[in-house]
Parts: sequence; structure tokens; C-alpha cells
Amino acid sequence: MNWFLATALVVVAAVIVEIWLPGRPAYHAGWYNVALTALAIVVVVTGRKQWKAVRSSRSRLAIVAVALGAVAMGLAGVATGLFAPDDRDVVGAPGERVRVEDVGTLSFPLAGEDRAGPIVVRLDRPLHAPLEVGAPARNAGNFILRAVPRDVVDVEVRDLLGSRLTVTQPNGRAFLSPVLLMQARQTIAGMDVPFDSFNVPAARRVVKAILFTPAQAAVVLHDPAAPGQSAVLFAVDDENDRPLPHGIVLSARGEAVRAGGLWLRADVTSYPSIEVIWTPNIAVVAAGSLLVLGGLVGLGLLMPRHNRANVA
Amino acid sequence: MHRFIIWPAVALALAVAVYVAEPYLVTQRAAAGGPSGLAGQRAPIFDLRDDGGRAVSLERYRGSLVVMNLWASWCPPCRAEMPDLQRLAEAEAGRGIAVVGVNEGESPQRARAFAGSLGIRFPIWIDGGQQYGRAFDAVGLPTTVILDRQGVVIRAFDGPLTLDQMRAAVAAVRAR
Repeated sequence: MNWFLATALVVVAAVIVEIWLPGRPAYHAGWYNVALTALAIVVVVTGRKQWKAVRSSRSRLAIVAVALGAVAMGLAGVATGLFAPDDRDVVGAPGERVRVEDVGTLSFPLAGEDRAGPIVVRLDRPLHAPLEVGAPARNAGNFILRAVPRDVVDVEVRDLLGSRLTVTQPNGRAFLSPVLLMQARQTIAGMDVPFDSFNVPAARRVVKAILFTPAQAAVVLHDPAAPGQSAVLFAVDDENDRPLPHGIVLSARGEAVRAGGLWLRADVTSYPSIEVIWTPNIAVVAAGSLLVLGGLVGLGLLMPRHNRANVA
Repeated sequence: MHRFIIWPAVALALAVAVYVAEPYLVTQRAAAGGPSGLAGQRAPIFDLRDDGGRAVSLERYRGSLVVMNLWASWCPPCRAEMPDLQRLAEAEAGRGIAVVGVNEGESPQRARAFAGSLGIRFPIWIDGGQQYGRAFDAVGLPTTVILDRQGVVIRAFDGPLTLDQMRAAVAAVRAR
């Protein structure tokens, strides 16, 4: 009985750990899933021996419950490890709806003055109620959704007369968004920095924006005494990607700067991306855990000692 | 006793296996991007200003079919489409259909000058934060979205429409 129960409990623990500490690469490793499968097989084999060894129908039923629960959980773990899509980080612009295959549609709320309270991303999917993902991670059945804050840059562009101009991102996530998601990276002066670009069609300008962290900005601004503010370097080109004279300028503290015939202003804000982490199905894990628990109770292992004699 | 336990257990195990494997075997087909995927969704209501500085909102158009046209002055197809939108607005005036032009990201002065140069008389809203562009998943300009009397998107188009296309779209929505 000891091997049977010990193996079953190891399977249960392994699968619960996958939900408790999600997203570890080991869960998708071949060795891990082979081991989990082997343990499930051991549960079946040793369970069958135990089933033959006992006479009481209640004990037999309890053994089947433990075996079935553990195998179901093991199966859920292996299915996730071998067949689930890769974990991914879904980045969306404020106001954008991102359709994620196998997951659903994530609606990213607008940022700025139109938003009140914490940013909550909503998941819509067929046959399910909408799921709101905010600060705490949410289990959506087969996967966990977790909001991860990241820096984005909200730009405002005006012509030299002060008239506001449309910002477009032909290569971005949202064509008409003035929010740069800063997903690309490059190295400048040994610093790894995120960058993005946008167009100003009315002025026939293409602008590259490079984001410096507060520490990097202190180096770039040659002002180590005043760190704490991110800075954005704008590089303005014409529509044929030719650099313009006086087209490179650094903006800090959200101030408007002039470059390439434009007034440019950047606000660095925090906006979440959504991590999708595949985990064993929570319903199967819950049902499996209940079966195992019920089986243990049936075997008398969770009962007071004086009651156990009556079980077998 | 043996049969009573084994067969239900096998059936239960199979059911669990199917339930566990189902999400990985049946994948959702990714819907097409762009505004055409918006049909059936309620249009968001943003508090905007028109080109004269007056507060405007979709709220006041409840009960009317609304043709929302997202545009900008630098967009040549928008310029080409505008006169037809004006003709549609005139033809449908008093018949429960409102045409609204939503300027994306430009100043009221620029929008007003542009509309004035083309003789546009339907309402021009200023969407400085380009909120409708994002909310309607616009992949370019112009983008036209038709809302029903409850503010739900019925049809959405990427790119310029001819007057005949506008009339056909409005007629189809009105016939619903």
C-alpha cells in the first residue's frame, strides 16, 4: 500500500506545484513528462495489486478513487507539458483587442485620463463569462493570466504653429495609436534600450523614439545628480527615412521638444502586458484531488486512528 | 463487484482524457483583424469636442442609425470620400440616420479648415487621443462604422466607400 499511495501523492503534488509555481521550463521538458507518465503507470500497476490484495468493497473503491484521481491529474500534467502551446507574453496597445489563438480575445483598456482605477485587461472567449485580469493572476482553466507592468511611451506631436497632428504606426500593433509599445531593442553606447517608431503623415515625418531608464537617462543627460526620470530620444527623418538637420533631440520629464519641424512630447507610463502560462486544467486537478482525498478517507488514512480498524 | 468498479472507472478515465485533450485539439480560428471584426459589439462612448469646441458624445444619437467616418486631413482617400458622405447626410436627413465625421488626432482648426474647404456640414468631432481609431481597430483611414439605434456596430469598412456603397450599406442596416 505504501508504494501505491506514495506514488499517487507524488503525482498529485507534482501537478499542484505546476499550478502553484507556473511557467517553469521543466514542465515542458521531456524528462519531466516521461517521469510523470511513469509515475502514473506505477500508480495503476501498484493500485491493481492493492485492489487484488484487499477484500473489502469499500477499500477497493477507495483504491480506484485514489488511482483514478492521480492518473487524471498526471494526464492533465502531461497533456499540458507536451501538447499545450508555448507560454507567451501578449502585448497590446491601449484600446486594442488582441485575438490570441487557443486563448480568446484580450481587450486592453484605454490609458490616461479616460481610465479610472487600476488597469484591468478583459478576456472574452466563447462559452465563458468574461474574465478580468488585474493585479492578481487569474486561472482561466487551462492557463493562468498574469499582468506584467512594462514601460510604454505616449507621444503627442504638434506642428510649429501648435496644431496637433495625427500619429500613426503603420508597423505597430494599432495603426492609429499614439502609444508606443517599445518592443524592439538596440544597443546604444553599451546600453540595451527599447525603441519604437511612428509616422506623422501630415508633416511627412518618420520618428524613432528610444527610451532610456532613469539610470541610463542620468548617464545620457550627464546629470547623475538628478536621476529618477526616464528620457526619450527622438530622431526625426523625412518620409524617405533621410535624417533631418537638427532632427535628434532628447526629451525628459515629459517636456515638449522641437526637432525636424515638429514639437514632440513623450510621457513614459506603465501599461501591462499579459502573460499566458499554460497549466494543468484546474477542473481536472480539482476533481482529481477530490477523488484522491475521498480515496484516502475511504482507506481510513485521514480518519482518527480508532476508526481505521473498521475500514479494512 | 469487479465489473461494477472497472467499467465506470474506464468510462470516467476516457471522459477525463477527452476533457483534458480537448483544448489542445480544438483550436480557435483567429478572426480577421481590422474593423470588420467589430460587428455585434457595442461602440464605446467617449466624451469628445466638435470642431467648434462643443461637448459631443454618441449618447445623444441613441435611437438613430449612425454612420461614423474616421478621417484625417492628410489622408487623400478621406478627401475623396467626404463629398459623398455629405450627399449621404443630406439625402438621409430627417430619416433617422446621422452622419458623423471623426477627425483622428488633429487640431480643431485643421479639421474645421479641411471640412470648410469641402463644404462639409455634417458634425465633425475631434478625437485628439485617437481613441475611436484604436477602439474600432482601424488599420487605415478612412474607416467607416455603422451603428444601430442601440449603438451596436452593425457593419464596418476599411478604406473609402462610394456613394452607392454607402447607400447600400445603410439600406441593408435599415432593413434589419
